[in-house]
Amino acid sequence: MFSIRLGIKNLSRQKRRNIITILVIAFAFFGYLFLESLLNGMEEMSFDNIRDFETGDIQIAHPEYWPERKELPLDHLVEWNEIINDEIEKIKGVSGVSPELRFSANLNNGIDEMGVIGLGIIPENYNQVFKTQDYFSEGSLFALNENKAVIGERMAELMDLKMNDYIILLVRTREDTFNTIEVEIGGIVKTLNPIINSTIVLLPLHLVQQALNTENNVSMVSLKTNFGQEELAQQSIHEYFREEGLPLEAYSWRESAESVIALSTTKKSAIGIIMSVVLLIGMVGIINNIILSALERTSEIGMMKALGMKEWEIVFVFMVEAAGIGVMGGLAGCLLGFLGVNWLVNNGFYIEAWGDMTQYGIPILDRIYGVWNYYSFGYIFFLGVIVAILSSIFPAYWAAHKDPVEAIYQR
Amino acid sequence: MPKPKINKLIFITIIIFTILFSLTNSGLAMATKQMTAEEIMKKRDENEYIQSAYAEVTMIISKGGRGIEKNMVMYSREKDAFVEFTNPGDRGTKFLKRDDNIWMFFPDAEEIVKISGHMLEQGFMGSDFSYQDMMEFDKLTDLYTFTILEEDTFTNRPCYVLEAIAIPGKKVSYYRRVTWIDKERFVGLKEELHAESGRLLKVSEVQEIKEIDGHWLPIQVVMENKLRRDTYTRSIIKEIELNPELDERLFNLENLH
Repeated sequence: MFSIRLGIKNLSRQKRRNIITILVIAFAFFGYLFLESLLNGMEEMSFDNIRDFETGDIQIAHPEYWPERKELPLDHLVEWNEIINDEIEKIKGVSGVSPELRFSANLNNGIDEMGVIGLGIIPENYNQVFKTQDYFSEGSLFALNENKAVIGERMAELMDLKMNDYIILLVRTREDTFNTIEVEIGGIVKTLNPIINSTIVLLPLHLVQQALNTENNVSMVSLKTNFGQEELAQQSIHEYFREEGLPLEAYSWRESAESVIALSTTKKSAIGIIMSVVLLIGMVGIINNIILSALERTSEIGMMKALGMKEWEIVFVFMVEAAGIGVMGGLAGCLLGFLGVNWLVNNGFYIEAWGDMTQYGIPILDRIYGVWNYYSFGYIFFLGVIVAILSSIFPAYWAAHKDPVEAIYQR
Repeated sequence: MPKPKINKLIFITIIIFTILFSLTNSGLAMATKQMTAEEIMKKRDENEYIQSAYAEVTMIISKGGRGIEKNMVMYSREKDAFVEFTNPGDRGTKFLKRDDNIWMFFPDAEEIVKISGHMLEQGFMGSDFSYQDMMEFDKLTDLYTFTILEEDTFTNRPCYVLEAIAIPGKKVSYYRRVTWIDKERFVGLKEELHAESGRLLKVSEVQEIKEIDGHWLPIQVVMENKLRRDTYTRSIIKEIELNPELDERLFNLENLH
């Protein structure tokens, strides 16, 4: 009890040094909490952007098409019909079904050309699965029988295109023969997904099927599921395909988000590194503090030993002091972290100034918003206090181990 | 009465010459009329199809009034080809075509890239010739059905104008081609390339031909992309050698490094 009281009392003896150590720990904790929130927010937004604009929650494709899908082939397409469509719509958890035909094309504006990804869609179905409809800056999504296209704002800027301009898409049919699709721009979108904004041209499905000679086939079918029912729906779809003997598979959106998943793995490593640095800062601060305290109090330690205090009791005094610094540093860090994360969650971090993040595989534009992770606050606090206590043991033992006579005379 | 004899002789001579001339002409006319579109194309294929070749080529890409010159050496053997750029800006850039595959090597990236999918539609080194155009080394008679549209002249040369429509099931880049073929030399002088939709995509015009080892070959060709304004590419063969001995290793992927 005496050791605890002495330890707590010692906290107030070197106020300036202790405050500096507490602040160092607090800022390290704040940095960790802030960056973790930012990275988690980046991950969550990336996942949402992929699901809401590119893949839906589940994608149905031919198993031989799936590994080649990035090459946008016109082989191994899905023979989609109303019967299958209706059956899939009836599956529990499925809230939207959007057949789509993906193809590569060269977009011509009469002066320049650029490589784009064409996407033949049924507007009504597409709106059930994707959120693009909420992000039109001009015009609207075409009707199925219209010869119109929707492009992203970035693409419009690059190719100097405006509403009602006509574009020519140079495509290759299933037989590899060049063909053209000539359409009017009926809408321009600015979504949260940079791929949609710069690479995708949305077109009516039947127009694309006709130009590519693919009959009624589609490349993939994207599905929207109710919250938390993705796996259940995926399983039911698998069973339906097996029962009907259809050569199709249902894939989770995660399989299309490899780059972002890879980013997520990198994120975990980054968080681990940040955590190590934070704890190292805390450890160095505490060790430095205890060594300085021990050096200042060498004669005092000798006197305490001469009066009969045991070594472990002296070590305990320093441990209490370190624990106190750890607790105060942790609390201050959590408070700063709370303020920082709160700002990040509500205002977001403006990333456009950092340049085009899409080139690093981060499908986010404009701002990254943070997310709350209350578990991290508790985790970093307790881990910080434990590390502070453990860091104090060695220098405290070094101080307590001194010979009392030599310590009193400070030799 | 010598006068009538002379007149008779002249008359007979005229008749004979007229008959001979008309026979010759009608024979020629019959010969040309009897040539079918397939025969014309076969003659063209025989003339233009080269087993192997070495060529030094200059490509001038004109865009919006500005011209970029690129030089290259080309080796070709049946369906395979190897191209290496020699102009300072692109020196060391190499292409290899083997059957239906194209790879390229950029010295700066020090990496071999296979050109596939949508990349095949892009212009070869920024020119108006697409990589897809390079893929068609097959004889056109194997890929298209030909019909004679008309007879015309192009750069003062009498030509057959042939229409080629892709044979169903054959993999071809252009659904329809309209070709002007020199009636005597059986070399293509002009070609219009159409998409399946009917839209004119490209026009190539031969501006210079040369007879080399019995083949009339296009030496200077201008390719114009009809989907874009103010852009064309002029390809000029500076040196050409037919059927040279080519090292087998030339067409290996290792040669790209």
